Order: sequence, then structure tokens, then C-alpha cells
Amino acid sequence: MSSYFFRRLWQFIPTLLGVVLLVFFLFNWVGGDPAYILAGKIASPELIENIRRSLGVDQPYWVQLWIFVKQIATADFGVSWSTNERVSQIFATRLGPSLTVLVPLLLVSTVIALAAAMLVAYYRGSLTDRGIMIACTVGQSVSILVYILLLQYWLAYQLGWFPVQGWGSTLGENLLGYAALPILVGVIVSLAPDIRLYRTFFLDEIGQDYVRTARAKGLGEGRVIWLHVLRNAAIPITTNVMMQIPGLLAGAFLIERFFSIPGIGREVILAVERSDFPVIKAVTVYVAIATMVVNLLADLTYRMLDPRVQLK
Amino acid sequence: MLGAYAADPSKILRITFQAAETGFDPVKVSDYYSGTVIEAIFDPLLTYDYLARPAKLVPNTATALPQITDKGRTYRVAVKPGIYFADDPVFKGQKRELTALDYAYSLRRFLDPKNRSPYAFLFEGIAGIETPDRHTLVIRLKQPDFNFSHVLAFPLAGAVAREAIEHYGDESAAKPVGSGPFRLKSYARSSKIVLEANPGYREVLHDGARLPRIGGVEISIMEETQSRWLAFQRGDTDIEYQLAEVAPTFITADGQLKPEFAKRGIKLERSIDPEIIYLYFNMQDKTVGGLSKERIALRRAIAMAYKIEDQIRIIRKGQAIRAQYPIPPGVAGHDPEYRSSLAYDPRAANALLDKFGYKKGPDGYRRLPDGGPLVIRYSSTPSERDRQFDELMKRSLDSIGIRLEIHKDRFPELIKLENQCRLMMRGAAWIADYPDGDNFMQLLYGPNAGQSNNACYRSPEYDKRYERSRLLPDGPERNQLYREMARIMETDTVWLLTDSRYRNVLMQPRVKGYTKHPVMHAEWLYIDLE
Repeated sequence: MSSYFFRRLWQFIPTLLGVVLLVFFLFNWVGGDPAYILAGKIASPELIENIRRSLGVDQPYWVQLWIFVKQIATADFGVSWSTNERVSQIFATRLGPSLTVLVPLLLVSTVIALAAAMLVAYYRGSLTDRGIMIACTVGQSVSILVYILLLQYWLAYQLGWFPVQGWGSTLGENLLGYAALPILVGVIVSLAPDIRLYRTFFLDEIGQDYVRTARAKGLGEGRVIWLHVLRNAAIPITTNVMMQIPGLLAGAFLIERFFSIPGIGREVILAVERSDFPVIKAVTVYVAIATMVVNLLADLTYRMLDPRVQLK
Repeated sequence: MLGAYAADPSKILRITFQAAETGFDPVKVSDYYSGTVIEAIFDPLLTYDYLARPAKLVPNTATALPQITDKGRTYRVAVKPGIYFADDPVFKGQKRELTALDYAYSLRRFLDPKNRSPYAFLFEGIAGIETPDRHTLVIRLKQPDFNFSHVLAFPLAGAVAREAIEHYGDESAAKPVGSGPFRLKSYARSSKIVLEANPGYREVLHDGARLPRIGGVEISIMEETQSRWLAFQRGDTDIEYQLAEVAPTFITADGQLKPEFAKRGIKLERSIDPEIIYLYFNMQDKTVGGLSKERIALRRAIAMAYKIEDQIRIIRKGQAIRAQYPIPPGVAGHDPEYRSSLAYDPRAANALLDKFGYKKGPDGYRRLPDGGPLVIRYSSTPSERDRQFDELMKRSLDSIGIRLEIHKDRFPELIKLENQCRLMMRGAAWIADYPDGDNFMQLLYGPNAGQSNNACYRSPEYDKRYERSRLLPDGPERNQLYREMARIMETDTVWLLTDSRYRNVLMQPRVKGYTKHPVMHAEWLYIDLE
């Protein structure tokens, strides 16, 4: 187990290097020249050169790449090119609001989706199953933008149940007030694909011989479903949930923009618009590291969920 | 001393920005939103009369308007004594007086390459700055400039305190210390900016009342139009002016506020932004550039085929007027009588192309007079808004049988290519940095090619007149030169001026005393709330 763990840790290094190379060359190839954004309305050649020099983008590529590697090693990505704010400070202040929305969203949507998927899988072929599947197909084909626009207009503006937008200073105020509608929107959007996916996992298991055997042994339906089926379907479900965790670091930019949530998703969009490479670098590297760590945790969890799984 | 206690702390003005600010160090910003906050925190030497139209310069922290001597080369300004910076820990509990030394330091910062200031170009004419005493500032210019007073009224030219800048260093963008009517109370970057009335603000009266009257300003960053519009309608914000996309929802075809909003006491103030929007041709391009007759005919035909009316009706949703003159309304030098000779007339445009040998080929598209292929390459960004412009351009060029190629690139890359005079044709806009015609007429001055002169236009006739205009103050003689320059540009068909947009400001009933100023943006100083 421990040798597997350390071997996987070692594999982080080449993976991360690949990410670094990809981000670096993509930014330099398709990203705009930041000097022309920072130069303002009248960009004289001297000013452009001055900005390029001060940002270090006039250096040879290998020097810039080495600086990038050192930044990862020291976890210090310097300051934002457009605002001079430290990148670490950006994460420290923007991650909280993003997580305030995304963590409850992930938990609530997973629990509801599991329950609903279990229900429709159990009653496969019934009116309930068909009704929910049709609703999921329709719901999944509608853009998140439509949900945001409609629900913001209807629930917040027309009915006044929620604030239209904004962000407070305390966790309670945000969780129960400003974040409630964004969470609701996020849950509605993610339910349809999750229910459909989990339903297939459950259906795969419900048709297995061990379920028939359990029923033949006289086990109650509740025990068959909640203990045997759920446990066996847990591995793909865990994979799906775990895969969503690194995304928490990147925020949910549409929800954050429409509801004026000062999260990391808005910051990422701003950074892309402004060609703010230090912020883009940091977000990409952190998301890559989080993905690798979560994948490792997922693999370890498989073993806990199913002792038959061998980690090699 | 009354101090800011004229300001009622319970009166908080709530407004929105549609894009995030970048910071509040005057030398480091170039965006409108940061500039607006800076205007409320820092004090330039001069400012504009709030109500006078066209905009009129008045002293702010100066005792009077500058004495201009040496044929426009020397500006002498006296700073009022007894003005103090807002209290800040950096002053260690002492009152810190604003002096001419602070202005000298602040202006020099723009010229320091280390600060790489986007607005350094406004101050490049400065040859030297002297402070004969604590309250006198003397600025010597490299060449005569009778419009430099406008630069001294530029909001970013407000005074900073050297010790605050040195103490806060890289953090100075988040720790502004000025002597203006407001100071920064709290700041969540890209999310919320809260200002409070500066308790130490000097005595400034307006309508017999001491300013500011409100206790603070709460600015929320809301990027999306729907969020701003719903928030305003719910009464969550007091003033909203960034609603161009939904303007037909609240404005009638004749520019009035719709009755359902008027009934609720909502007020509308409508003004034309001091800006011009135009299409430019690269005068160095081998297809559309140059001053030969057939090239001028080609540019003129394209200009005459472009339906500005559709741009205003469809893309602007009626919220713009046709721009006729390179200097927009509200800016010194604007000529309201001037009419552009480039009218929409596709028939005449086709005839012009026929006459100059741009014959149609078998595919229905025109060819160059020498028989080579004729393709107009129009550059734009991948945004939804620019896609609408692409479609309009395509329809326009189809109407005269010219093949169009759309070149898409990111904004900074377009600017880079533009500065290298490598784009063929693109739409551009310019909003006044200060309300003087020079700020617009310099856009076509030859030596500015590759910088603000995005058409890379070099005309000895234009340049000669521009250089003469620089030596003149605002007045009939300079206006005559400007008219001649506008006609020269039009004859050469370097630009097609398209439109200037309306600024529709909506206000809740409780907002009093607000009127949109052409160049000042932080009018909060004059506002009162019920």
C-alpha cells in the first residue's frame, strides 16, 4: 500500500511537468501580449518595451520557463500583472466565497441525485422512471445560462425569496442568504446528468446475480438496495464525485458573475481577459495538483469500499 | 470647523461598476472604473464646473487658474494653503498639509519609467517642474501648449503623498491616501469598494451647502446587465448607467423614460458621451491605403456602403447618434453645424467603383483595377458584439460587390498589429481624456502613427494645420483649422465616423442633485440623498 502511495507521488512530477509545459506554451502561443493591455490607450514602443521588461516577458523562453518552475517549487507565483495583488492573496480571499457555494452544491446535489437515481432504478420502466428520465433529458439540454436568468428573475426579483445578487461578510449571512439561490441553480443544473449517470450505475448492480441471491435469501428490499447495491455502485459514484472536487478550486464563473460572488471563477475570467499570466499559472497548477491528489485519494478509497480491489 | 460633518453618515449612495477596477494608484491605472474612484479620493489642481456646459475649467486646490506665460510654455499655479491629506497611519498622527511639492512629486511619477504609467503620454510635454516655495508650482513645457490646464484637471493628476507611496510600496494601489472628498473605507478587490466622506475635507460649497452631503459610496462590481437591471429595479442600487443592452425596456423611441418607470419616481438623465466611434482604413495598406485616386475611391465607396443607421438601430438599439465631426459634442472645438460628406449611398458607391476600374468578375465580386483579387480584411475580436459588426460589414460590402474576409484575434493582438500598421480595417473608439478638441485631432497626426493614430495616416496638409492648432488656445482661429483638418481627413477618407453613444443614467427617486458631467465621473461629491 505504502509503496503504491509513494510510487503515485513520484508520478506527480512528470504529470506536473507536462501541465507546466502545456500551459506555458499555450499562453505564449495563443495568449495575448499583456504589454498591450497594460499600456492603456496610447502604447508607445518605449512603453511597450518597458512593460515587457518589467514583466520579464522579454526574457528567453527557457528563462521564463525556469522562473515558472521555481514559482511552483516555492508556491510563490508573485503578483498579478494587472492589479499588483499577490497571487497568494487572491487565492486566500477568493477561494472562501467559491467554496461557500460549491461545497454545499456538491453535497446537496450528490445526495439528491443518489436518492433520485436509486428510486428510478428501482422502479425501472415505471411511469416515475420515464417521467424523471424525460425531465432529466430536457433539463440537461437547457443551458445553465437560461436557468440563471430565469431563476434570478423569477425567484429573486419577482417573488423576492432571495437577494438578486451580492455577498455579505459572514458565513451565515452568505450561506443562508446570498449563496442560497446560486446553490439552488447549481443543484438544478447538476441533478439531471448526475441522476442519469447514477441510475445506470444502480441498474448495472440491480441486475447482478448477488442481488437476486440476496432477495432469494429473504433479505428486505431496503437492505438489498442500501447495503448491497449502493456499496457496489459506490466505486463509480465515488469516481464521479471525486472528479468534481478539483473543479471547486476553479470556481463556477457564470454563477459567480451573475450573482456577484467574489470567487475564484470570476478571478480566472478576469485573468484570462487581462492576459494575467501569474494568476492563470497558479490556477492551472493548483487545479492540476488537486486533480492528482484527488485521483490518488479516490484510488485509496476504492480499496476501502471494496477489499477486492488491489492497488498495484 | 464643520469638517465632513455636513456629510450624513446614514446617506450611502449605492452604485455599480460593470467591470472590475484594477487599483487606486493614479500612475498605474488606465481603466475607467479605477479612475472614477481615484477622482473621488485625490485632488487635482484644477477641476471642472459641475454645471457649466461645455465643460469649464475651475480651480480645485489651486487658488486660481494657472498663469500661462512664455507663449504657452510655462504654467505657474498657486496651491491653496491649509488643505490636508486624509488621516492615515503613515502620517503618525500628524496633520499632513498638501503642498506644491506633492504635485511636483505626483506629476514626476508619471514620467518615471519604473511606474510604466499608461497615461505617461499626457505628461510627456513636461520639460521641468519647479517649486519656488511650498505653495507654488511652476511647470515648464517642451513646446507651447495652451491646453495643458486640462491635463492639470485630469483626475489621475491628483496629488499623492510621497511618504504614503513609499510606505505602502506595491500595496499603494490598495491604500490610496488623498485629500479628496472621500477616502477608502473598505475594499474587496473586484467585488466591493466602500468609500466614506473624508472627515478632514476642506470647505467646499455648492448651492449654499457644504460638500459632500452623503456619508459614503458603496460600489458593487456587477458584470452582468441582468443583475444590474434587476438590482436597480428592486431598489438595491441608487444610480445605474450601464444598461445600454436593455435601454429599450425603459426608454421610449423618442428618448423619454417610459411612463411605468416615471410613475415610480425613477428619473432618467440622458447625455451624449464625449466619444467618437469610427471605422478606420490603414493608410499604409497595399490594398486600401495610399492617396491615389482609385484608393480614395475604394475607401469612399466602402464608407458610402456602410449603413450607419443600421449600426445605431440594430447594434446600439437606438442609443447613439450619428457622429459627423471628429470632435464630439461637449468637447471644446466641436462644430454642431458640420455635416459629413460621407452619406450612405450604395448606388453612388457602386458607380464610383465602376468609374475607377474595380470591375466585377464572373463570381459577382469586384477585382482591383489591375485585375488582381480584391479582398477587404476587416479585423475584430471574437466577442458577440463584434460579430454583429462583422455581419453589418458583410452586408455593406456585399451591396457593392466587394469580398470581405473577417480577421479574428484577441484584443491585445489586434492592438499589437494595429501599432505595427498591419491591420487593413478595423472599428475603433476614443473617449475624451479631457474635454478639448486636441485630444481627438491628435488621432490623425502623422508622428502619432503606430500609437494613437491607428490609421497610420500621414498627410502633410493635415499635420501642418495640427501643428499650428497646438499653438493656439480654444477659439475661432483654432476651430477653423479643425474644420479644415476634418475636411482633409474626409477627402482622403481615412475614417468613417459612425456614432457617439447616449449615456442613459437612471436614478431612484431619493437621488438629488445629480447631473452627468461630460468628463467628471465621480459626481458623488455633489449628490444628496433623501
